[in-house]
This record gives sequence, C-alpha cells and structure tokens, in this order.
Amino acid sequence: MDEITSSEAAARLIDNELSRLDPDANRPTNVISTEGLNLSFGGKSILTGVNMEFTRGTITALIGPTGSGKSTFLRTINRMNDKVPSFKHEGDVKLDGESIWGSNQDLLTLRRRVGMLFQRPNPFPMSIRDNVVAGVRAHRIAKGKQLDVVAETRLREVGLWDAVKDRLGDSPFRLSGGQQQLLCLARALAVGPEVLLLDEPTSALDPLSTESVELLMRAMTPALTIIVVTHNLGQARRVSDKTMFFYEGRLVEHGDTAQIFERPREASTDRYVNGLMG
Amino acid sequence: MSVVGGDAESITAIGPIRRTSVVRRIGALLRSNEEHVWRWSARTAAIIPLAGLAFVLSVLVLKAWPAVKVNGFSFLTSSAWQPGSTYGAVVHTNGVAHPPGSSYGAWPLIAGTLQTSIIAVLIALPISIGTAFALTERLPTWISKPLGFFVEILAGIPSVVIGLWGVLTLGPLLAQHVYPLIANHVPNVPVLNYFRGPTGYGEGLLTSGLVLGLMIVPIIASTTRDLFMQVPPLPKEGGEALGLTDAEVARWVTIPWVRSGIIGATVLGLGRALGETIAVAMVSGSVLGHVAPNIYGTMTTVAATIVSQLDSAATDGTGFAVSTLAEAGLILAVISVFVNVAARVIVNRTSHLSAPVGRDS
Repeated sequence: MDEITSSEAAARLIDNELSRLDPDANRPTNVISTEGLNLSFGGKSILTGVNMEFTRGTITALIGPTGSGKSTFLRTINRMNDKVPSFKHEGDVKLDGESIWGSNQDLLTLRRRVGMLFQRPNPFPMSIRDNVVAGVRAHRIAKGKQLDVVAETRLREVGLWDAVKDRLGDSPFRLSGGQQQLLCLARALAVGPEVLLLDEPTSALDPLSTESVELLMRAMTPALTIIVVTHNLGQARRVSDKTMFFYEGRLVEHGDTAQIFERPREASTDRYVNGLMG
Repeated sequence: MSVVGGDAESITAIGPIRRTSVVRRIGALLRSNEEHVWRWSARTAAIIPLAGLAFVLSVLVLKAWPAVKVNGFSFLTSSAWQPGSTYGAVVHTNGVAHPPGSSYGAWPLIAGTLQTSIIAVLIALPISIGTAFALTERLPTWISKPLGFFVEILAGIPSVVIGLWGVLTLGPLLAQHVYPLIANHVPNVPVLNYFRGPTGYGEGLLTSGLVLGLMIVPIIASTTRDLFMQVPPLPKEGGEALGLTDAEVARWVTIPWVRSGIIGATVLGLGRALGETIAVAMVSGSVLGHVAPNIYGTMTTVAATIVSQLDSAATDGTGFAVSTLAEAGLILAVISVFVNVAARVIVNRTSHLSAPVGRDS
C-alpha cells in the first residue's frame, strides 16, 4: 500500500467518488420524501402533516418565523431528534424510498449519507487535518497516507487549502469563524454524503464568508442534494431551487423559489416574504 | 500608617463623634477607609498560605537536617531501617548524635509510595471517566442526580473507615478469591511476572493501590463530571451528525475538549494518593526494609511509615529517628511538588489543540 503514490491514490479516490455520486438511473428522482409527517416534543405538536418530496440534486430552502418547526423538520431527516426522549414522530421520512427509521437502516450509515452543517462552526478539538478526516476515519473510508489526500482534496474543494496548507497540524480554533465553518463543510463533505442538511449555516458569518458558502452550495449541486434552513430571505432567493414556507407548525406552501417569492398563493407567505411578519 | 491619618478627617466629616458608640466609630472608620482596609486584608490573606508553606518547609528542613547529614545520599537508595541500640553509648557522625548501629534508607518507602499511587491512578482514571460519562450522558437525571451526590459523599468517608474496610473485608476477599486467580494465569514474562508468586493474606501493594484508587475515584470523577457538563453540545452534535459512534464522540470530542482539566483532576487525585496515610498504614502490611517482591507483597509508603514509626522514633533519646522521619517527609513533599510541576508541563504540551473550557461554540 505504501508504494502507491499520492496521485494514484487521489485518482482512485476521485474515481470512487464519481462512481458514487453518479446519479443511478434505478434510484428514485426524489432522494428524500416525507409522508404525513407529524413531529412533537413531550406531547406538544411542533409540525403536522408534512408531505414533501426533495428532488435529487436540488437546493431547497426552508423559511419561516422562529418556532415554525423548520429546524425540527431538518433535524428529523438525519434523526438528530431521536435522542431527545420526549420526541415523537408519526408518518415517515424516506431516503431513496426506504424509511429512515426502518430496521435495515443503520443510524451511522444514514448520517454518513445525510450530512449536516450547523448554525455555528463546531470544529473538533483536534488538528485542522484531523478535523477534515474525522468522519473518513470513523467510517473507515480511507486510512494512512490516503487521509492526507482526502484532507487536501476536501480543503481545496471548500477553498480553504491555501489558507491552511502550512498549518494543517494547528488548532482549528485559531481560524476565523468563516474559515471554521468551511472546515466543518469540508469535514461533512469528506464522507461523501448524498444529502446535506444546513441549519442556518451562515447566521454567524460575515458577508464575505456567507458569499463563499453560498457559492459552494451552488457548486455542490447537482452532485449533492441540499436542504437549507435560513432566516436570510435574500439567501433563500439567491441559492435555492425550491422553497418551503413553514408557519405555526405547518408547511403552508412550497414550490419553485421564484413562485414563492413573487406569486405566493397564501396570504401568510406573502406577508412573510415581503417582510411584514418576522 | 497613612490609614490612621486619613481617619481623623473622615470621621469628623461624618458627624458628631462624641455621641457615637465605640462600635459605630470603628464601623465608620472602616467605611471611610474601605479601600485601604480591603487592600490591606486582601494582601494579608494572600500572604498567609505562602507564609504557612514557608514555615512548614523550613521547620521540616531544620528537623531533617541532622538526618540528612548522617544518612547522606544513600538514604534514597538504601533499604535498611535500623533504629540502632537504645542501650549503647551514643555515637557521633558528622557532629550529629545518634544511637549506635542506626542505619536508615528510604528507598522502599519511596518505591512503595510511587507504586501504590500509580496503581491507584491507573485504576481510578478509567473508572472515573466512565462514571463521569454515565452521570452526564447516559443516565436519566432522576438517577444521575442522586448518584452524583453519592459519588461526592464517597469523597467524604474518613480514610480510616475505608482502611478498616480494606483490611477487614476487601483484602481477605481479594487474597482468597481474586489474587490466586491472577497469579496462576499470568504468563511468566518480564513485567507481568511481577503479578506471579505468593499472594499473601490481602495486606500489601495491590490492596493498597486498590484502596487508594477507590479513595481518589470520587475526586477525579466529580471533577471530570463537572468538566463534561461544560463541554458545549454543538461539537458533540457535530460528531453525531457525522455518523461517529458515541465512543468516538467521547474519545475525539468530549474528552479532548477538557483534557487539561482531566489531567488536573488526576493530579489532584495523585496528590491525595501520594500523601494518604492511615488507610495505607492499615492495608499495606506496614513492612519496612524491602520493596514489595511482587504486586501482592507487603510494603509501606513514606506517609504510612511516618505515622506508624513516630511513636517508636520518639523513644530515640538522641532525636535522630524523628529527624529521619522528617527527612522522609521532606522527600514526600518534594515528590508532590515534582508531580505537580510535571503535570503542568503535560498540560502545557497537550492543551494547544483543546478548546478553552466553557468556550461557547
């Protein structure tokens, strides 16, 4: 294994990557679908009756006032809510046509396939390089020298390589907030997810970092399917193909982003996208 | 002092002095010079521990000095413990009077102190981290709250009680059922062969290490639990969302996040183990003169020796035996200081990647 030069290893990794990302004709067009999804915490209903389909390779923005249930919805898709004892769900969420709560579904594999980026950067207390490859190591996707290749590939992908290439062994906590968030994105991408859930990924970032994250989101599709919760309506408009509007625990309206922002069907959507309701 | 000069004026400024009681006058005096009083008392308070330490150390050195002069460097390497004859004529070495035939060496005590403390930490650290994890991450609040309280109570059990339990219950139990099992199944290779051989009656090195381990678990566990509670949820969620197992999140995120704190807690426990006296005196066998031949062997530590030998040392009319015990105490103090310094070095080396505790991200 040691004889393999890094370029060969890189080529093979990229091949693997391409074959995995190649949209399989046999797979459903909808990577994720929800059927009659009701979510509640401790008997208190958070979200009711969500029937939605997420088309492979698109970006969907989830908008709505605070407390409308959009974050809970997002965190249900990778089963982050499951550890909350009072969390209950009815209905179903399907990934490639299979229930995410199905008995043949391995939680760790589900989370490898459905990645997540959080409101604020959350690097691990380990070196920059180790952060990028943490998931790769855990899922045993690569090992040894290959890890360096993975780290470089992913850091280049998010545009962080030049900034950190001379300090891969340093603490990530000395990076700027924007750089830390890009590092977390590189970490999430490194395990080769099919879906990426973004929970207000730029709410703690400056405008320049926000822009680079948005550009990356566009660049990552259609290889990836992205679902993004955002309070930034401009961002929803700029990056998303589809928009879902949540209000008071219901999915009020969903459709093409242009339609939601320009010709909303519901009065509450109209008031929200036009800034008349926060 | 300027304090007094300032008072007179301020008091007159406050009002009629004649009618106020002495108490009120003092109160007024303090209030008018609040800043001075505060600064002065803070300085005093800051100096007291330092002065105390200096006093204890200087007395220790003073008391130990005759022994240092006679015992020399070989005190650190010799295994002898001969108080000498109390009936013969007093002899003088380097101008210090001591009984004829007296010869002291602290090597077995030093080795015993280090051995028992290392065993204690090796046992207590994983148990403590496991306990802390169970308390913060695994168990529901209605169990973890009382259990956490119980762990803290364990820290308050007097060491003499634990020692009594060790010598009456734990030691015999282990010697009958556990030690023979280990001794008969460990391969006869270097290092591991220290676990072979006669297993004794339950008083010795391993029992002492276990008892000490039990005593420092509450110290390390309760501190580690508090540290774990300070790890922000977001990095842990990041690990979960990446598909890491709970064990990987613990190993890669939670523990490294508070690594320097855990090292600090461990040193706290180690310090307790190094200095623990009465429990070890009860379960070690208190046998002077040799390093434990195997892990079950009888032995003693510096602290246990000081407490168990003080009575007989006081019968040495020349005071030399007491001086020797003071020298042993001095060595124990040096070991403790060394451990703390070493811990600080380790913390500085390892903390460059960990996040500051309580960091909100």
